[in-house]
Amino acid sequence: MGGKEAGDTMSVLLEVEDLWKSFGDLQVLKGVNMSLKPGEVLVVIGPSGGGKSTFLRCINHLEVPDRGRVVFDGIEVKEGKNINLIRSKIGMVFQQFNLFPHLTVLENLILAPVKVKGMDEVEAKDKAKKLLKRVGLLEKADAYPSQLSGGQQQRVAIARALMMDPKLMLFDEPTSALDPELVAEVLEVMKTLAMDGMTMIVVTHEMGFAKEVADRVCFMDGGVIVEEAPPEVFFTSPRNPRTREFLSKILGV
Amino acid sequence: MPYWLEAVIDSFPYLLSGALITLEITALAILLGLLIGTFVGMARLSKKRWINAPATVYVEFIRGTPLLVQIFIIYFGLPSLGIYIDRFPAGVLALGINSGAYVAEIVRAGIQSVSKGQYEAARSLGLSHWQAMRYVVLPQAFRNILPALGNEFITLTKDSSLVSVIAIEELLRRGTIVISRTFQSFSVYSAVALLYFVMTFSLSRLTRWVEKRLAIP
Repeated sequence: MGGKEAGDTMSVLLEVEDLWKSFGDLQVLKGVNMSLKPGEVLVVIGPSGGGKSTFLRCINHLEVPDRGRVVFDGIEVKEGKNINLIRSKIGMVFQQFNLFPHLTVLENLILAPVKVKGMDEVEAKDKAKKLLKRVGLLEKADAYPSQLSGGQQQRVAIARALMMDPKLMLFDEPTSALDPELVAEVLEVMKTLAMDGMTMIVVTHEMGFAKEVADRVCFMDGGVIVEEAPPEVFFTSPRNPRTREFLSKILGV
Repeated sequence: MPYWLEAVIDSFPYLLSGALITLEITALAILLGLLIGTFVGMARLSKKRWINAPATVYVEFIRGTPLLVQIFIIYFGLPSLGIYIDRFPAGVLALGINSGAYVAEIVRAGIQSVSKGQYEAARSLGLSHWQAMRYVVLPQAFRNILPALGNEFITLTKDSSLVSVIAIEELLRRGTIVISRTFQSFSVYSAVALLYFVMTFSLSRLTRWVEKRLAIP
């Protein structure tokens, strides 16, 4: 990483500087630094309780960090009038899908574009159908979330986030709540998204996905980023003993 | 025809129009209570003390004092402060303010019954706090609390009889007037009770119907 020349900062989409966050006595983040260029896919792995989710949630200020700053697309993310606009450009996909159960799939998709961006409803529906087609669920447009499988719900959730034309997508363990046989269909959609050039931060335990799709993999533990490297380096020759230990546990090597 | 029956039949149209006034008062008080209760219920959950503290005081005070006393304060008490309110709006106001406290507690529970992830997902899409409440949290909360709200509305229908003490000519007041003329207390009060029952039973059926219609598949 080449420091901070003028040309370099122009091509940075997300800059996270010295992020700290605690819940009561529990210090969850202890100074996290990270930067992301447009089109990059960063996969974050690490043990639970290591701060991965909190890190992700601090980026769009679902959790307000105690210290440090997040600069997205040249604008500092903080409470105020801008926050809703900034959030609308950062898509987020949750472990528990969080589709709105009282709305149909189509209504789930068009709610934010219509209410936040003031998009015309007919136009929004057109766009929604295109995105549903892209995730292979056009025929479920009028279904309610409870009528879908977990994998289908998560694909709808991804489409819902894409409705806002985000510049960055955050994935918080998107496949952890899924039955094993449904994981692949969600990863497939994410892979396509990455290939289409979406900038993504993915917290996951899917090492196959990390190896195949990530530009960089980082290992987070104890509230800091312990190690960060391109996947081919990260998985074959990790430098930090904690990374090695974690990898050997989950890869069973 | 026995006189006790004749007394009821003759006065029935008069009692029925009293029942309509009861319905009118109740409906207006329900609306007022819902409005107050929705905002106070949300305020109770606010992290800001200057918002949640007054809401808590309101709920505790209203729940901790008799409705009859509240009616007296509004109709007989306020005029000594120079505020005069006609009996009908005073009755609606007292009932609505009273119901608002109970509705607030129901709404609070309803909001808490919606998982936090729903609110977060809405905010992550760029919806404001109010939009997230309006389009995502409250629609789900209201579905969850419909049975409890139905209960509250039935209680309110019955409690509306208390405004007879400030001489609003609703159902109970009219019953009492008929009795003072005919002295048939048993049959007339029974007729009054029956009319209340018809109203509350219909209300409970109506809530059931709404519940079914709004059920999420």
